[in-house]
Amino acid sequence: MKKIFRSKYLLTVLIACFCLAVVLVTNGCAESKKVAAKSGVELWAENCQRCHNTPSATSFSADQWKTIGMHMQTRALLTTTERDKVVAFLQAGSRN
Amino acid sequence: MKLRNTTFLLMLCAILFGKGYAVNAQEVTPPAQQSSPESQFMVAGLLTFGFVNQNTTNTIGGVKSTDKYNSLGDADRFEFSPMLLWRHGDKLLLEFEPSFDGNTIGVNWADVSYIVGPGLIVRGGYLVLPFGSYNKRLAAGWINKLASDPVGTDIAGTDFGVEVAGGLPLGNMKWSYDISLTNGFQLNNDGTISGVGISAINNGKTVCGRLALLPFSNSSLELGVSGLYGAIATPQGATFSNINPTDRKGPIASMYAVDLNYVKNLSPIQLNVKAQYSVSMVNSQNYLSPVDSTQTYTFTNTTTAAFGQVSVRPVASKNKVLKNLELAFRYTGYTAPQNSTWGQNYNEEDVALDYWLSWRTVLKVAYENIKSDGTSSVSIAGPQGTTAISRVIIQFSTEF
Repeated sequence: MKKIFRSKYLLTVLIACFCLAVVLVTNGCAESKKVAAKSGVELWAENCQRCHNTPSATSFSADQWKTIGMHMQTRALLTTTERDKVVAFLQAGSRN
Repeated sequence: MKLRNTTFLLMLCAILFGKGYAVNAQEVTPPAQQSSPESQFMVAGLLTFGFVNQNTTNTIGGVKSTDKYNSLGDADRFEFSPMLLWRHGDKLLLEFEPSFDGNTIGVNWADVSYIVGPGLIVRGGYLVLPFGSYNKRLAAGWINKLASDPVGTDIAGTDFGVEVAGGLPLGNMKWSYDISLTNGFQLNNDGTISGVGISAINNGKTVCGRLALLPFSNSSLELGVSGLYGAIATPQGATFSNINPTDRKGPIASMYAVDLNYVKNLSPIQLNVKAQYSVSMVNSQNYLSPVDSTQTYTFTNTTTAAFGQVSVRPVASKNKVLKNLELAFRYTGYTAPQNSTWGQNYNEEDVALDYWLSWRTVLKVAYENIKSDGTSSVSIAGPQGTTAISRVIIQFSTEF
């Protein structure tokens, strides 16, 4: 009985979390001015090192950085703004 | 019925996310990017090659036996995984990562992602489940600070299904969600679970999700909570049965996990802390004794796995050699169910000195000390023993 309760509880928590996500999104999740003002280089330094070393811009071409940016967005769940700024910064210093 | 409701919720949220962000997308002005072709294909990936020297001491009933071996390219420390990425436009990304681990060729993931809008990614295919943070983000050899993976972190694994995910700003903070619906697990005759694969043999599906919050504006801290729930398939030829014969409900898996990731630059040192704790539960069944087919046994099928690691690197040092050195320590604790055939209390301490040849290439020298006490039932699995393992690993890993 205790285990069934635990399972039901877990599902309820999952659904509740999802509902919370819906509420947060539909009410708008605006970034603060401080965060919005961040440059690509700042976001590159802050976000890449969450998992691995910060990459060198010359490691890939501009087109490749765009693809890698999408890959990292799906993997590390970067926001779209973060992805765009980081990719633009890396493209600016890329191989071509 | 509940899972149908959950599926409906997933669909509803997908619509809401898409609608909500169709408006917000117009407000976001992306910085100028260099023009890119409609499609782009590239190969990235990783190579990990290791040497291990290992001493194992088994003690059963006071009798000790030792075993020594060394290997170049030991299976657990060798991996060659080219990752194929194909981008079509700005929205569609296909990812495929086959992997050779020294013994077999497998697939780490094979999926297609569609970026619907800011904060909403829809993915389908063969997915790494969003359970904890280690499996999806930290397991690659060139990312992992230690030589091997912490035991028990891959319990949710990879599965066929669909997923919705996204990262969103929240004032000075940031949060992300990641929820999947997959085929789920099957229960094996010893009480372990394994992926059911592409041929789902039950009607139930597994829901798994992770919600994360990055409370600081510099993204230095990430706190995650994950949950998984699903009916487990009973394969043909299964020898276990429900404890209550009148209960027609099959086995059910429920799991939860919490994880932490903290990276802080305390000049000249960069401090990196990562931790994860997970619990996996399967409701109790009657299992057939492997030594006497007329007898059954049962146990509380709960497995816990935890690790905590800390690493320091003097990234801002003026000394060129010193700034590329990183010292890492990790503790891993793993408890498999007592009185099962695989019951054990497992503890591991790892220490590694890494030298970064570039941002994506590392040479590690690691020492690992493992102690495992058997907690299986004497009547079904024989006398309990203790295993002590010490090993030295030299590992090279690169991302290409």
